[in-house]
Amino acid sequence: MGNLRIIARLDIKGPNLIKGIHLEGLRVIGPPSEYALRYYKQGADELIYMDCVASLYGRNHLADIVRTATKDIFVPITVGGGIRSVEDALDLLRAGADKVAVNTAATSNPELLSELAERFGSQCLVLSIEAKQVGVDKWEAYIENGRERTGLDVIEWVERGVELGAGEILLTSVDREGTRQGFDYNLIRLVSDAISVPVIASGGMGRPEDIVPAVCQGHADAVAIADLLHYKRATIGEVREVAKREGFTVRTYG
Amino acid sequence: MAKADVSIIDYGVGNLLSVQRGLEHFGASVELISEPKSVEEANRVVLPGVGAFGNAMKTLKRLRLIEPIQELAERGTPVLGVCLGMQLLLDKSEEHGLHDGIGLLTGSVKAISNLGSNNESLRVPHIGWSPLYKPDSCSWAGTILEDLEEGSAVYFVHSFAATDVPSGNRIADTRYGGNEICAVIGHENVTGCQFHPEKSGEIGLKILHRFMLQ
Amino acid sequence: MKRDVIGQYKLPVEVRFCSRCTVSNQRPRISFDENGVCSACNFSDSKKNGINWESRHKELEVLCDKHRKNNGEYDVIVPCSGGKDGSYVAHQLKYEYGMNPLTVTWAPLKATQIGRQNLDAFIASGFDHVLGTPNTEIARKLANLSFRHLGDPFQPFIYGQSNFPLHMAVKYKVPLIMYGENGEVEYGGDMKNAYRPTRDIQDHDKHYFSGMPPEFWQEHGISLKDLYPFMAPGFKEIKSNKTEIHFYSYYKYWDPQENFYYCKENTGFTPNPERSQGTYSKYASLDDEIDGFHYYLAYIKFGLGRATSDSAHEIRDEKITRAEGAALVKRYDHEFPSRYYDIFLEYCDITDAEVHDVIDSWRSDHLWHKVDGEWTLKHAVWYESDQPK
Repeated sequence: MGNLRIIARLDIKGPNLIKGIHLEGLRVIGPPSEYALRYYKQGADELIYMDCVASLYGRNHLADIVRTATKDIFVPITVGGGIRSVEDALDLLRAGADKVAVNTAATSNPELLSELAERFGSQCLVLSIEAKQVGVDKWEAYIENGRERTGLDVIEWVERGVELGAGEILLTSVDREGTRQGFDYNLIRLVSDAISVPVIASGGMGRPEDIVPAVCQGHADAVAIADLLHYKRATIGEVREVAKREGFTVRTYG
Repeated sequence: MAKADVSIIDYGVGNLLSVQRGLEHFGASVELISEPKSVEEANRVVLPGVGAFGNAMKTLKRLRLIEPIQELAERGTPVLGVCLGMQLLLDKSEEHGLHDGIGLLTGSVKAISNLGSNNESLRVPHIGWSPLYKPDSCSWAGTILEDLEEGSAVYFVHSFAATDVPSGNRIADTRYGGNEICAVIGHENVTGCQFHPEKSGEIGLKILHRFMLQ
Repeated sequence: MKRDVIGQYKLPVEVRFCSRCTVSNQRPRISFDENGVCSACNFSDSKKNGINWESRHKELEVLCDKHRKNNGEYDVIVPCSGGKDGSYVAHQLKYEYGMNPLTVTWAPLKATQIGRQNLDAFIASGFDHVLGTPNTEIARKLANLSFRHLGDPFQPFIYGQSNFPLHMAVKYKVPLIMYGENGEVEYGGDMKNAYRPTRDIQDHDKHYFSGMPPEFWQEHGISLKDLYPFMAPGFKEIKSNKTEIHFYSYYKYWDPQENFYYCKENTGFTPNPERSQGTYSKYASLDDEIDGFHYYLAYIKFGLGRATSDSAHEIRDEKITRAEGAALVKRYDHEFPSRYYDIFLEYCDITDAEVHDVIDSWRSDHLWHKVDGEWTLKHAVWYESDQPK
């Protein structure tokens, strides 16, 4: 593994940063730009912006938010939500996104992944997976912000996605998301071990210490944090401290 | 029209906006160019890029930018290649076949190893923050890294890297899985960064600023 | 046979949508002001600006002081189901106001797994609880009859939901019953009690039973003996117990989504892993496999389905915008509750053909027409032609 990355995740609805529980009941937290800048200054290694209503409206509306963010934020930005075509991705990349994350559209049209990888390169392409446990060591992929099932087995889907060109995986546990009960380490490990591209673990971080099993047991290459940061229960710096104490290689910041 | 401080070559690939913002952060005037004439007139040029080497060279050829870039470099105009842009400045690349580069810097592009120095398997692409080291008895004075301390971390995302670079041109390395990777290479007025200075926070901004002062 | 939906529910013939939320004037008993804003939205404004919550809180303290027994006996009946609303109220009364609630649930017609799990988790979080389950055979007969005659299989549940707490109050000699929200007031119905904490017990029939109390079913071959558990206790007993029905929504700002967060933290509540059919939400009304048909019939009768009700209150509570609400209604309101359809058919002992006959009999001409052979709403909150001027 390269350096462990500590990523701030911002779920956006319209003009607002929001946060839910189990991807449900989305509470307004505040203006995205304020929070994004705060996390950049706290030392976030990357930012992820997810448009939570994109599937509902049929398109991603984050271009303006991203364009503004790039004025003051100089770390990689991944943008997801409602990306259905090469044009959608191009709009966001031109607006300042470095990587695009795709979920819903890829499940119904997996070839989209190869189109995007060919046009922009795998390093620009993140396959976003919302995983819901449906059995022992079995997870099903959900779409549309956790509202619809796909019938796809997560492990099979992630292997296929990487074959088609995804350069990174954003893995969200629907069961743990917003619950502060820790990541689903079993899920992360099974996905991480199945493929050769980096895995970003998302969903469930309750305390900075939760990053330890995510790496040691889960083999995650990065963690995406939302609730912990948005409700100001910890800072990126505190998470970095825990990682350093454990001996993980993390970026020296501050 | 007053000439811009920096011209970024827009050949349809990459996140140009971030590079632009990074340069503008210090008050530089920045323009995006894609015509051979604009390259000829530039004060300073940045060649960005993400994606595949072969495609990029094809596009540059189609836009007839390769000669103007070569001539510009010969005249001593500062040139900065970023990520794929750096790789394009080299002689050739082995990415998906054998391709010629622009040839401003000696060396070639090969896939980074997916095996670490202890035979552990490494994730490819190499994604993440990694520190910059001075190879042997190198000094960073006079280079774009002049304002940095050794060990400063910058952001990498790549599957291919520069190899066979003469030691005089190696300005900074990084390590991935114990293997050394060229991070910054350069000769006189031509420099290349494998990483993304526009995505490397305050450290990256310092690098861009130093390029502006060249 | 076509029902007279307009006559029965006293609906306006011309359909209009609220300019602020997703509800239309077809919701029975709703009213719109001169700006085209519905009574629920106006009430919601008063919740935010006009009501002195501090003094309401004091009223609640006074009420609790009056009823608190402090001797181990129950001092308040809290009707619940294991869902977010009743659990929130019970938890608040016990831990914030020092009351000793007896929580009572009228059994769902067919309990869902998540519903039972949430009820157990709630009880485990520290509450005494009584579950009232009527004779399933009778409940099923009533479901069949009410579906065929009233276009709603849910009547047997609705009777018990109102009447069972009245029984428990009388039996345990507890005068105070505390419900969650006054649905009429919060969601756009009869606003007569908007500024009272209580409602008149006599209003049952009109507000909750569609004018048809349990006794009505004697005409259809159900004996009074069998109807007993669904009926209210005698009015005399209710009165001598000094029974009062209060609404927590009078005393505390009511926001269903916030109840979800509260219960997640405090009573072990878990939302459904999948969204409920006919809507986008996963945290509301999870307990009964049959309730989807209640909501679906409301969609047929009034053009207002589950996504409409869920989005309407979320708009008022400033969780989503009207535009998003309309997009959600467009996406989900019309969805047929297929997940438990077989169970529903079996429960009500009815055939698919009969179900569709009943459904179609409630499609009023002022709301429905056929387009390319498909039943389509003439008016919808997302239609260009229905946008408020």
